[in-house]
Amino acid sequence: MHTIGSAEMDEDKEKTSTMFENYQVDGLFDEMFIEPGKPRPHYASVASRLSSMGHAAFQRRRHMADVTFRNQGITFTVYNDTRGVEKIFPFDLVPRIVPADEWRGIEKGLIQRITALNLFCQDIYREQRILHEGIIPPELIYGAKMFRREMFNVRVPRNIYIHICGTDLIRDKDGTYFVLEDNGRTPSGVSYVLENRSVMKRCLPSLFSAYGVRAIEDYPFNLLQCLKYVAPGHVDDPVIAVLTPGIYNSAYFEHSFLARQMGVELVEGRDLLVENGFVYMRTTAGLRRVDVLYRRLDDDFLDPLCFRPSSILGVPGLMNAYRCGNVSLANAVGTGVADDKAIYPYVPDMIKFYLQQDAILPNVPTYICARESDRKYVLEHLHELVVKSTNESGGYGMLMGHQSTQKERDEFAEKIRDDPRNFIAQPVVQLSQHPSLVEDHFEGRRVDLRPYILYGEKVIVMPGGLTRVALRKGSLVVNSSQGGGSKDTWVLEDEAAMAASASTNGSALAATNGAVNGATHGAVPAGNGSAR
Amino acid sequence: MLSRDADAMFWMSRYVERAEHVARLLWVNANVLVDMGDLAARFEERQWEGILAILRLDNLEPAPGDQRPVSERVAAHMTLSADNSNSIVACLTRARENARSIREIISAEMWENLNQLYWSIQGDDAAARFAESPDDLYRSVMTGSMLFQGLTDQTLEHDQRWLFTQVGKYFERIDVTCRVIATKFAILQDMGPSLEVPIRNIHWMAVLKSCGSIEAYRRENFGEMDPTRVANFLILQRDFPRSIRFSVAAARRAIASIRTGINVGGVDAAERILGRLDAQLEFAERCEIEETGVPEYLQKIESAIGAASAAMQKAYFQH
Repeated sequence: MHTIGSAEMDEDKEKTSTMFENYQVDGLFDEMFIEPGKPRPHYASVASRLSSMGHAAFQRRRHMADVTFRNQGITFTVYNDTRGVEKIFPFDLVPRIVPADEWRGIEKGLIQRITALNLFCQDIYREQRILHEGIIPPELIYGAKMFRREMFNVRVPRNIYIHICGTDLIRDKDGTYFVLEDNGRTPSGVSYVLENRSVMKRCLPSLFSAYGVRAIEDYPFNLLQCLKYVAPGHVDDPVIAVLTPGIYNSAYFEHSFLARQMGVELVEGRDLLVENGFVYMRTTAGLRRVDVLYRRLDDDFLDPLCFRPSSILGVPGLMNAYRCGNVSLANAVGTGVADDKAIYPYVPDMIKFYLQQDAILPNVPTYICARESDRKYVLEHLHELVVKSTNESGGYGMLMGHQSTQKERDEFAEKIRDDPRNFIAQPVVQLSQHPSLVEDHFEGRRVDLRPYILYGEKVIVMPGGLTRVALRKGSLVVNSSQGGGSKDTWVLEDEAAMAASASTNGSALAATNGAVNGATHGAVPAGNGSAR
Repeated sequence: MLSRDADAMFWMSRYVERAEHVARLLWVNANVLVDMGDLAARFEERQWEGILAILRLDNLEPAPGDQRPVSERVAAHMTLSADNSNSIVACLTRARENARSIREIISAEMWENLNQLYWSIQGDDAAARFAESPDDLYRSVMTGSMLFQGLTDQTLEHDQRWLFTQVGKYFERIDVTCRVIATKFAILQDMGPSLEVPIRNIHWMAVLKSCGSIEAYRRENFGEMDPTRVANFLILQRDFPRSIRFSVAAARRAIASIRTGINVGGVDAAERILGRLDAQLEFAERCEIEETGVPEYLQKIESAIGAASAAMQKAYFQH
């Protein structure tokens, strides 16, 4: 055990190491432990520091984190009755760590995937080679709710459709990473990644600085560069804005956060209007043209003249301005065709077709209910499958077969027979687990990982992403709307830095304090004391 | 600046100011009755009706079976009642709602302060605190508001955004101050000349305290309580930030700066109205208010502010 000379380490000595005492791995892949009491090398330092910190000290940090989140208004809205309730996204202080070599593989896989998905969008809305060559059945595309005929033969700037992608990764019992789904429309959560990191640095500074963790703070800058890159060709200094549905949207915090971080306007549909094919925002000094919209509004709501006529969130005429090339939208309209759950099983084929490569990150085996043979199998095996609606997200419209009742299964069977195109099914993947604080000790809870990928002048994968935790014991559903929490995710610089960190805590702590104090004394200007 | 954001800036600031006024009114008036001792009963009902009138609320009929004295009912209604759109909790909720819609253009300090203030009066904790010591709660709301104003001054560029917060703050201050004076004048008039001098003085002190002005008034008037002097002070004092004249001048400057940033040469309607009002107050004779009659004088100020507010909204919020 390490010895750290701070007071909190001594205060509840009797509790030392009890926080991990009854920790169980239960035959799952555990991110931290190979077996109870035996942490993986890259977690050794975290495990020893956390167990020597003791329960009371850890709780204090946790409380500090909660207060920080609430005071800063880092919340999301849950709709369980007519009124939305603002909640803190529960933050689990134990960090998830991804070693550098592991990350390299993930990064390559994600770049390959977003490249193929973009080529796919371009192909689908232009030549449709992938349909003509029989790789994907056309009826799947035309049956996709998010396929947008309006996008046919529309030129999008730089041929980029999916500028921002959030890809959900999970690990199975052996620790292999799988892609569970791609979010190529308006993926959310990146603000929590950035805020989690900043809270982590405040609450556990010495633990954080003992590791060489790759920085993620340049994400808003990269996003801004990406948005500038896809601006209409005729503007030199584009005006960029984030388009939000408004403060009652569950992800409003994030919209505001990103606008603030990028230093651009946050607009609602009612702030915009279209005149002569250009988009303008209403300002105190009159109308001002807008060139790029990072829209956090689904296609359906963008333009009542083109899509859902009843939508008051959008801007009449926006699609027309977009098709004229006078305004750029990120992500492009119609990308939902690429992250449709019934198209997902074909992504490895897309990668082969467009890039002549094998997929680096495998898919989870998937049954497409629209296929007769698959459907038959699904209906016979509902009790052991996870059934998902192809157009829902956020953990809604799902059947967890092994935890369901006969009645629920019967209802789902009927829904599947009624509208097979709308369903897919997958075997239950036993997600990897990670220690989480439960009352006064740590227990394993299931996790996934959503990295964020930006496709601009080049493809940039944020090192890390949102690790979501299913806070209920045994639960496999990590969505925030279903009681999930999140963790800070550390991608390590390289192995050498990690090895070094394992032996430098006490001294590093002392050195830091000394340096800070010294600097403070030096920096304080001589004030009243000396003047009088 | 987006028109909607300008609108939210104005209202965020205005609601924070309103919450502060409500808190101060309740805080002061609870204490006034304590000062009157045995005489309190005679004034109690009228006193609390006055508070409701200042906030433009109807009289509060007790619910069937509600045995609480009027002071408690009004205080509860004005503090933590979400149904009352002018209660402290409702004002701060709306202020925060506005702030949330412009979170990206105000400073982190402003947002965190307002957000904390909002959470501090939510839920069971706040109810318990209110039950234990209303005074504490009122003071923390007043301090929270002042802190917010200070942070607004010190952490935000003094550009259009800041200017709109100033207009919102001063419009609200002028509005409430006018109504505090007018309502109290009416109450004291009704009570007639029979009122003993010490009681009358307590009332005038309450007026000054309700406007946060008692100390400044004493310094200028050597403690002498006189209705004309109180009205003159609250309306015409040049340098005190809580007087109407000071507030009109500040609002006028802010409106002029907003207009200059957009249209250097012009004058807009709100600026014209405020400019005239500012000049009237600046060059007023000391006897003018008394001669015109306090309620009439205040009525003119109130309607000028109403017109300026409408003109500003039309010019900047409704493109």
